[in-house]
Amino acid sequence: MACTPETSLLPAALPGPESAQRWPWLQRLRRSSDVPLEAWLQAIETGALSLDADLIAALAPRLDAAAALRLLDGWLRGGSRDPAVLQVIGQHRGPALAARLRQALAADGVGRAPWLLPLLGHQRDPADFALLSSWLLGPQPLRCRQAALEGLAVGLSSWPLPALRALLRQLVTGLQPSLAAPALDLLARLPQPRRALAGLAPAALEPSVQRRRQRRLAALPANPLVLVVHGRSGGLIPPELEVLRAELQSLRRSPVLLQALTAAALPVPEPLRQAAEGQPLSLMPLLLLPGSHVCGDVPALAARWRSSGPVIRLPFLGAWPLWQQALRQEVCALVAASEPSAGDDGPLLPLLLHHPLRSSLAGRYLAHLGPFCGATCLPTPYSAPDSDAGRSLLEDPSDRPVVLPLVLASNRLTEALPDWCAEPLLQRPALRACLLDLLLCLP
Amino acid sequence: MTSASPPASEHLPATLTKVEQAKADLCGLDLLPRLPQLARNGWEALDEATLTIRLKWLGIFFRPVTPGRFMLRLRLPNGVITAEQLELLGEAIDRCGEHGSADITTRQNLQLRGLLFEDMPPLLDAMERLGLTSRQSGHDNPRNITGNPLAGIDPEEIVDTRPLVQAIQDRLFCADGPRNLPRKFNVAVGGAPDSFLLHNDLAFLPAHHDGRLGFTVMVGGFFSAQRNELAIPLGLWLEADQLPDFALAVLRHFEQCGNRKLRNKSRLMYLIDEFGLEAYRAAVLEVYGEQAGAPAEARIQPHDGRHLVDRAPRDGLGWNPQAQEGLGWLGLHVPMGRLDGESMLALAGLARRYGSGELRLTEAQNALLPDVPLARRQALEAEPLLQRFRPDPGALQAEAVSCTGSAYCSFALIPTKGTAQALVEELERRVDLPESVRTHWTGCPNACGQPYMGQIGLMGAKARKDGEMVEAVKIFLGGAMGAEPRLAELHHKGVPLSELPDVMEELLVEHFGARRKLAGG
Repeated sequence: MACTPETSLLPAALPGPESAQRWPWLQRLRRSSDVPLEAWLQAIETGALSLDADLIAALAPRLDAAAALRLLDGWLRGGSRDPAVLQVIGQHRGPALAARLRQALAADGVGRAPWLLPLLGHQRDPADFALLSSWLLGPQPLRCRQAALEGLAVGLSSWPLPALRALLRQLVTGLQPSLAAPALDLLARLPQPRRALAGLAPAALEPSVQRRRQRRLAALPANPLVLVVHGRSGGLIPPELEVLRAELQSLRRSPVLLQALTAAALPVPEPLRQAAEGQPLSLMPLLLLPGSHVCGDVPALAARWRSSGPVIRLPFLGAWPLWQQALRQEVCALVAASEPSAGDDGPLLPLLLHHPLRSSLAGRYLAHLGPFCGATCLPTPYSAPDSDAGRSLLEDPSDRPVVLPLVLASNRLTEALPDWCAEPLLQRPALRACLLDLLLCLP
Repeated sequence: MTSASPPASEHLPATLTKVEQAKADLCGLDLLPRLPQLARNGWEALDEATLTIRLKWLGIFFRPVTPGRFMLRLRLPNGVITAEQLELLGEAIDRCGEHGSADITTRQNLQLRGLLFEDMPPLLDAMERLGLTSRQSGHDNPRNITGNPLAGIDPEEIVDTRPLVQAIQDRLFCADGPRNLPRKFNVAVGGAPDSFLLHNDLAFLPAHHDGRLGFTVMVGGFFSAQRNELAIPLGLWLEADQLPDFALAVLRHFEQCGNRKLRNKSRLMYLIDEFGLEAYRAAVLEVYGEQAGAPAEARIQPHDGRHLVDRAPRDGLGWNPQAQEGLGWLGLHVPMGRLDGESMLALAGLARRYGSGELRLTEAQNALLPDVPLARRQALEAEPLLQRFRPDPGALQAEAVSCTGSAYCSFALIPTKGTAQALVEELERRVDLPESVRTHWTGCPNACGQPYMGQIGLMGAKARKDGEMVEAVKIFLGGAMGAEPRLAELHHKGVPLSELPDVMEELLVEHFGARRKLAGG
């Protein structure tokens, strides 16, 4: 079949909106290789034709940035709120287009800003980051702030990274969930997303945003993780640790291995190395105090793992500020929930029970932790017959202080304690949630 | 002929069309290694042909209506997806916030919306690790291959279509597979008495020959703005193992001989018209013989086209006993096929907890949860997701199919999905129907929502009302997918959307035995 001459595709021949012929006619216009474009632009500029969505859709593939600018001018002059023309603008970039958008935003106020701000983001001019930020953080209607955030989203890789991260973090922890959620999603798209998400304290987030953060974290690639634990005699792993491991592995979608210091045999590295596909393993000591295990055994274990490939060695659990804050909150919550009790010298301080330590480093750590948590750190031997004065305090049913054993999972210490204070930290929901979140965020 | 071979010269215009030129210059598949770099540069740096044409070879669609927010169309052979795969896609959608959604398509497929271009490289990598692909899912390519959504679990199954569909896809994706067709191409395999597939360019329907079960070949079905055809018998019968090579032969012939001058006259049926059925059959057989060898060609038998498909498709909703003792599938109605991240994750969770970790998607845009022990029926029925995706939708809800509409498509004249859902809910408040009625909604004459297949078809249009041009629909009636299939015909050429509930109510009463509910009842 011979093609219809392109000269017939002039504006005057366009069937009216009510015509059944209009849709196929516009499809022909769209497919034609030789449309008299200038005639169409002029017809729109003179008002002979209106900026109808179906017409714009048909013309869109053949318009360049200059033509898009002319249509944008027409759209702005007409005071239109019909977003049809955005299909055209959205496909083109250029200094003149960007300048016209900035000018319109300055002149229009909030009127058409919800349409214009995403288009400005499309222009991907790093200089516009400040303008978009000011719309986002300023006292604007929510739809304008959302539009500014969408502007940042569609130009994501163009903005200065440190400033973008800071801005998004500010939004994530802000009071507006409809901005916090998309800001968090954008943060998760930036380079090193796991680190960025780990830096957000769960307690600072609105619950739905925190759930969102956990979903994002779960979907980011994670290294296989080795968790060094003390373990019980013969390398036995307490069941609550095994449950934690399984849950963590499911959330991270990457292998998690528990390595007990008390185990005679070392784990075989190959399965984790295979899963890592050349990436490092992460190694995290789930140890609460910087004793001889942290200072001596863990470096040795890390060296063994390094012999099979790269390893990211992470600080022991007790060193993490997030963990210390969670401990403090748990102590505060226990104090608030306990019966008021007072000794001769006023209210009793909560007790943090720990196994006796000899190193000066551990001493300094406890000297920090006790005041930080508003508690007294009490060395407590594992065996009941050797107990010191502290044990008599624990066993006095008339004057019970708040007690928290610094023990993750059941061990000889918790088994030797009276029931009312024997719960290890992993059996306390808030601390367990904190630990799980912390481990989920690890590289 | 290899994929690099030029099409037959008589079908090549002296000057290539814009689309043909873009395809000739660079195959979109060759963009894949460069995709991370392209994403870093931003989509605005892409030339127009790459942005609007070539990326579709990777399944990536620039959407003019939502510039900057892209669509990714997958391939889900036979509509089968695992919970793990669905979770990955759900996560991708979830992080798009209010911009993110996924549609179950009429080809048992999923397309994700709201993605940033930067999302594509890591998502495609993650998909590959889970055995998912979006390769060649758009533009001039063989689209997702459909099969019986109940394959392997269907008590009425004639043949399990899953391995056949997968084998055809694998064959088409070989190094010598087609990469530059003149137009899109739909392939399907039937495996049950209700496998209506005559809207496909190439359909293999189960059929007997000399007492042996194989497939009769149907060709040329398609819908468009210009012409609508059901597939016709090619007159050949194949054994199951011949389907992949035969499909490749049909596509290679189409690649070589299809019309590249006029895109609106390039679907397979036009080629069949041009050759004549006899000559077309001979030409395809010749290509098949060249690639599969003479012994294989000799196994192909002449056939009268009679097949074992004699019923309209079941909706598959609600509880249904499987072929496997003690197991059942639960069919869930997904309103207009629209999913969000949360519902995708929840669906995957149900498949893990109650079934075998697998889901099926249907051409009616619903989801099936197979392999559920019947003893767990009660627990599953108590799941909150079933309040949203109901196993027992109303008679109009159950089989309401819709294209994406003007929310995402610049061709559409009306917002189909929202309009359809609102209308269905309104009509179900007004009338009781004795049995389900299949409605197909499409936003424009391109007919992506297959309006000619519906008992009622609704196509976006404009109409004048009170002196103003308003959104409207054309109404088609009488589509049938049973033993005597037929296309729906125009019944009303322009009903304003505001009048549609009244018009449809009347129509349901007159043609489909609906009874009006008592006022306030």
